[in-house]
Amino acid sequence: MVSNTELLPEFLGGIQNACAFDYVKELAMVEARHYRKLDEGGIECGICPRHCRITDLERGYCGVRENHGDKYYSLVYGIPCAVNIDPIEKKPLFHFHPGTNAFSVATAGCNVNCKFCQNWDISQNRPEQTNNIELPPKTAVDICRERKIPTIAYTYSEPVIFYEYMYDMAELGQKHGIKSVMITGGYIEEKPLAELMPQLDAIKVDLKSIREDYYKTIVNGELQPVLDRLVQMKKYGIWLEIVTLIVPTLNDTDQEFRDLARWIKENLGADTPLHYSRFYPQYLLKDLPPTPQSTLQRAYDISRAEGLNFVYLGNIAGHPAESTFCPGCGKVLIERRGFRIMQYNLNGNKCKFCQREIPGIF
Amino acid sequence: MYINNMSRVVLIRFRSGFEYPPQKSDYRNILEFGLAKLAETASASDAAKKLIPGGKIGIKTNCLARQMNSTPPALAEAFVDILAAAGFEENDMIIWDRTNRELEQAGYRLNASSFGYRCLGTDTNGIGYSNDFYSSGEVNSLVSTIMTEMIDYSVNMPILKDHSIAGLSGCLKNMYGAVHNPNKYHADNCSPFAAQVSDLKPLREKHRLAVIDAVRVQYHGGPGFNSGYLSKYGGLILAIDPVAADTVGLTILNHLRAANGLPPLEKAGRPVNFLKIAEELGLGTADLNKIDLLSFREDGNGNFVKAGFPE
Repeated sequence: MVSNTELLPEFLGGIQNACAFDYVKELAMVEARHYRKLDEGGIECGICPRHCRITDLERGYCGVRENHGDKYYSLVYGIPCAVNIDPIEKKPLFHFHPGTNAFSVATAGCNVNCKFCQNWDISQNRPEQTNNIELPPKTAVDICRERKIPTIAYTYSEPVIFYEYMYDMAELGQKHGIKSVMITGGYIEEKPLAELMPQLDAIKVDLKSIREDYYKTIVNGELQPVLDRLVQMKKYGIWLEIVTLIVPTLNDTDQEFRDLARWIKENLGADTPLHYSRFYPQYLLKDLPPTPQSTLQRAYDISRAEGLNFVYLGNIAGHPAESTFCPGCGKVLIERRGFRIMQYNLNGNKCKFCQREIPGIF
Repeated sequence: MYINNMSRVVLIRFRSGFEYPPQKSDYRNILEFGLAKLAETASASDAAKKLIPGGKIGIKTNCLARQMNSTPPALAEAFVDILAAAGFEENDMIIWDRTNRELEQAGYRLNASSFGYRCLGTDTNGIGYSNDFYSSGEVNSLVSTIMTEMIDYSVNMPILKDHSIAGLSGCLKNMYGAVHNPNKYHADNCSPFAAQVSDLKPLREKHRLAVIDAVRVQYHGGPGFNSGYLSKYGGLILAIDPVAADTVGLTILNHLRAANGLPPLEKAGRPVNFLKIAEELGLGTADLNKIDLLSFREDGNGNFVKAGFPE
């Protein structure tokens, strides 16, 4: 569960004049990108594969984009409901500037509705139902510069639905040497992703399952567009890590782990990090138990056996599979406990023991 | 929900050439007649007491489309006046919708005080949504605490209109405004979602009465206001059964569409399948042949006479 913006003043300390801490009551009204007007009236959103068709005063599935007189608006531009400074390992991104912090931002809304969502209280609410603060892109970037936070993470809910806000913040950050990472379900259309990626430095995608029926029944989305976007990201060359939450009885068979690992190896390469994450009962799946450690171990073993070089286990503090091991010599490269780095054995992007090149941005 | 084993629906039409918009007194006049017919009582006061046991009463409006296409304040206030005349405490009545902004834009005056009827959005400080999820089929939602905690009985008071996705916007669709995540329930022409939202426990158990404003009907191009597709139908639909009320509303909508050269909603790619699903859930009757429809029209002399339907 994410902390909400009540924590923000503590983090922002000395720059209070730059940012209004009171919750804002009004929603934003910034014209959305990637939509088209329909001849018969209304608009069609083109940001994600849903292609919601929306008439006047109605919203898309995400709940944060609204038609006003056949102009489409983002209602959450510049008004996040969650702002925190997190270790980059929390995203998780393990091969992207380990040990650094990310200024983490989210607005209300999401374009899917995963029954296991850990952040449903912001992702499945509309912006009227969350506590939002005013945080324009410039203020966020200024905060990062002032506090020497190297990265902004668009995270917690689904940044695709606050595309315009993310895009502008990432673009501005880039001009000032602040990196941007998108933590996403990858349910986005090809064109907006292509336009966005030059502003980003890394993407973490929740590949929730390798089965279309799981996406239909548990995620309320579609698998194929996510796979297509993953291939697009790989082709573009942006740094990419994958997370799969293992939910007991729903996506925890040997065959599924095998299929997932094979697909990643074939389409994204054996060096793409795959994080298996432990499920805890949340939201609409409170009747299921947490993922047994033995299931996580099985997923790890199968994926390694299929040839993936960097497989991790998450939400299971203290497990050796939180650490990065060199595929060349087998020695520990980055030892982690939770989000803390205990040992760091890389020289640049090479193993300091055997000089094997380690993929990522270090 | 049934009278003589049939879902009764009372449709009352304003006299021909009525002046739009009707005033509160106009609404009160036909409401009083309709309520008495619905409940088979001698007066509207007796009807109100028969239909609503007492306690705190929520009147759920549909204020999405601002003043031009929302539940008119004159109707809601006329209804409050009738209940007050029947002995209900004014302050026990809450006219509500999901946000204060939408209520105000539809012409309502907000009132959270201890005097007079209250008028509140779910986004009023201290109200919000339930802590627990309510579920029916594919629907899992938090419900406005106005519905779960502040009222004992609910009156569903939408405006009849076309909806670009659902086809029909009436009683069942109106309840989207009672849950926290209505945007998740628009796939497949809102079926089965519109039925399942109304099946959520507090909505189902607290429902007592449906009052649909069909005075000026947007028969195409809804749910927002679209001046090219309006008809002064002049009707008010009253029922205990919200599915039957919607079924009558759908018939009117398709009648007005046909009269204006438009295909029925089903052929326009917007079948209203959720009514049948609502019937299967036991929420009411979706078969016009099983509805005891009483249709009246003002005759211009202050009397009500039997009238045809849906013309």
